[in-house]
Amino acid sequence: MQKIDYCDDGQFCSGHVACAGCAEALSMRVILNTVGENAVGVVSPSCVAIIVGGHPTSSARIPFQHGTLESAAASASGMKRALRAQGRDDTTVLCLAGDGGTYDIGLQALSSAAERNEDILYICFDNEGYQNTGGQRSSSTPMSAVTGSTPAGNTTQKKNLIEIMAAHRVPYIATASPSDLSDLAAKVTKAKTIRGTKVIIVIIPCLPGWGVADDAAVKTARLAVESGVFPLFEVENGVTYRLRTTEKPAPIAAYLDQQKRYRHLSDEDRQALQDDVDRNWQRLLWLAAGE
Amino acid sequence: MNDQTSPLWTHLTSEARLTGTWRSALPAYQNQPSPCLGACPVNGRIATWVKQVKDGDLPGAFATLTENNPFPAIAGRICHHPCETACNRAAHDETVGICSLERFVGDMAISEGLRFTAPVEERPQSVAIVGGGPAGLSAAYQLRRLGFQVSLFEASNGLGGLMRHGIPAYRLDRAVLDAEVNRIADMGIDIHLNAQVADKTALQSLRGQHDAVFLATGASQPKRLPGLDYDAPHVIDSAGFLAASETEQKARSGGHVLVIGGGSAAMDVARTARRLGREVTVLSLEPEGRLPAQRVELEEAAEEGVGFVTGAMLHSVSAGAGGLDIGCIKVNFEPGEAPGQFRASPIDGTGFTLAADTIVPAIGQDADLARWQGLLEPEGPVIGTRQWQTSAPGVFAGGDVASMERFVTQAVGMGKEAAKTIAASLDPSLAPPSPLADPLVVGDRINTAYQDPRPRTHQGNAGVTDRLASFDEVQQPLTPQAAQVEASRCFSCGTCIFCDNCYFYCPDMAITRLDLAYEVKTDYCKGCGLCVAECPTGAIHMREDVTP
Repeated sequence: MQKIDYCDDGQFCSGHVACAGCAEALSMRVILNTVGENAVGVVSPSCVAIIVGGHPTSSARIPFQHGTLESAAASASGMKRALRAQGRDDTTVLCLAGDGGTYDIGLQALSSAAERNEDILYICFDNEGYQNTGGQRSSSTPMSAVTGSTPAGNTTQKKNLIEIMAAHRVPYIATASPSDLSDLAAKVTKAKTIRGTKVIIVIIPCLPGWGVADDAAVKTARLAVESGVFPLFEVENGVTYRLRTTEKPAPIAAYLDQQKRYRHLSDEDRQALQDDVDRNWQRLLWLAAGE
Repeated sequence: MNDQTSPLWTHLTSEARLTGTWRSALPAYQNQPSPCLGACPVNGRIATWVKQVKDGDLPGAFATLTENNPFPAIAGRICHHPCETACNRAAHDETVGICSLERFVGDMAISEGLRFTAPVEERPQSVAIVGGGPAGLSAAYQLRRLGFQVSLFEASNGLGGLMRHGIPAYRLDRAVLDAEVNRIADMGIDIHLNAQVADKTALQSLRGQHDAVFLATGASQPKRLPGLDYDAPHVIDSAGFLAASETEQKARSGGHVLVIGGGSAAMDVARTARRLGREVTVLSLEPEGRLPAQRVELEEAAEEGVGFVTGAMLHSVSAGAGGLDIGCIKVNFEPGEAPGQFRASPIDGTGFTLAADTIVPAIGQDADLARWQGLLEPEGPVIGTRQWQTSAPGVFAGGDVASMERFVTQAVGMGKEAAKTIAASLDPSLAPPSPLADPLVVGDRINTAYQDPRPRTHQGNAGVTDRLASFDEVQQPLTPQAAQVEASRCFSCGTCIFCDNCYFYCPDMAITRLDLAYEVKTDYCKGCGLCVAECPTGAIHMREDVTP
């Protein structure tokens, strides 16, 4: 077996208050250690803000500004410009946000930053809902998933943020998963070397929000990747798609069965979700083949 | 706690908060027995030595193997390998080729001339071992390793028992047998060949001269097939046939040999006769697919042109044109509860005739118990024992004389267990053998996400024409490269391989890496169990947290 390939230099500290078994904390560990010491961060209100923690303690060794939900990308843009004015252009500006702060409330700020190609590394921890305020739906919540505000199942499609960002022609977009920590670290490392707006979306199976066992977040993320629900790929300059694998994904049944939020589904609902995944996969293959 | 502060933003890191108080269960590192170990007749630490092969530590693998079995090169050729049947990898792709790896290590040890190390201390007590087959040699080896004085009495002119007088050279090269037997003899064992312990008086006298006696005389008396005239010139018993020299075998067999039986001995006779250039038909009571011989033996016999007539029995023999007319009838076969037990009832109107000129019954052998009459109590077809102890104080028994388990490696395992029991009876500070206390690692404890499907590397066989032309070994060894690749397929069930998954998957940085160990930081571990779920070998489990 391949050993996990990244080095923990102590950039993320024990004692944070993420739920036991949280894949977001696990992913933050990889990201903060890969970004390293020479970085500052902005965090939007989200689980990340709670995990980084409020004054007077922090789980991160690098300084973080707690911004507003609308403006994470704008704050990060300003921070980068200020650093550049001070001659500290080598410092990475990291922006950590949830899907609510990215797909919904912070989309305008992110879109403007991307439009200007601000030199920031924007990470979206996508747990497909407002999971620390009671688990309400966001525009990232998939069709049919039960949330705090959609008890009978969500009735809209998950927003395709990657294609939105690709349409901005930013230099680098990637998807990543806590089930492949080496890949996540490699993508962060690669993003650090690129100037301009970099967006990495990390799938985060939320233990209470999705109804997953304490020890199963990684397994659920792995099933999401393997079933093509959340394929791993990169997009360069908005046009060049690079897929981690072009092998036919596994059926989504095992992924659905892993979670309580899909437990109410009829066979037709499940088939509809499978068809949707198949369509998205075909489109992705087409994009990857196209240039 | 770390009190490093970041002057602008915060006073402290989150390490001030001890999240370990959230926990109700704590991960515990504990190596557990793999299913192959549980199935192994000698309970060998297979996961450990296979990893040593993978890491290129062949002397280490040899040392681990020979803790429980002094015959890796022999077992690697002829073991019925229940370990492979139990292998957790079967559900993933294919079982690991454990037996071929064992042969690889055994062959390396022979070619490198590896010896057994001398006992750490000599002990004054002496043990007599009666019988130099797999059980007797295994016991002699284990007792000598512990420093006991061992005298071994073998009735024939060579050590090895069934391994020498039963298993043909094309399955077990005699140079390999000699090398592994001599390696045991070289440990300082007082060996007496052609030394028959004929009766209970001889046994009692032996008991008087030693502190304990281990009886491992095997099962040397052929079972008799009712209705067959064993004195007729065309009938040869399988044991006599297999023990005979090639010249003698040629002289005693005609052109067409009928072998009666479906076990390993029957296959050995049949395949030997094919190598003598004879036509061979095997007649077995068991229907096709139920023959007790190992599957690979049956396949290889068929490749070599052995004909099979299954689910039938012999009922008459008469002189016929150019040989014998052998009257047979089809039977209904029902296996019994215990090994070797069965019921077979002839089906009316299904009679048929086979032609042959030599008949070799190979229907199994019984232990000769009569010579111990009055001293050792029989229990059915074997000597009765409790924990290897017979009814006579200080006399222990194992192997075929005390059990109906008839595989060579089972005898090796019995010899080992009996030796430990004898050792503990002579020196109470030595631990008696104990049954496996820990549960075996079941398949769902292995996270197979870290294991790419990889096909097994099978050993090759010599071509059929070459096989029939000599008694050279059929199975060809793995190359060193192939052995390493095959060893790397092992899941190492229950054994930590220090892959660091537990360390990297902890969202709370609560696992510390030490030198070939890990430690859980109880101050911070929240007890989520991700480390256990992502462990590729099942070497961690959650236990109720009793930290005060």
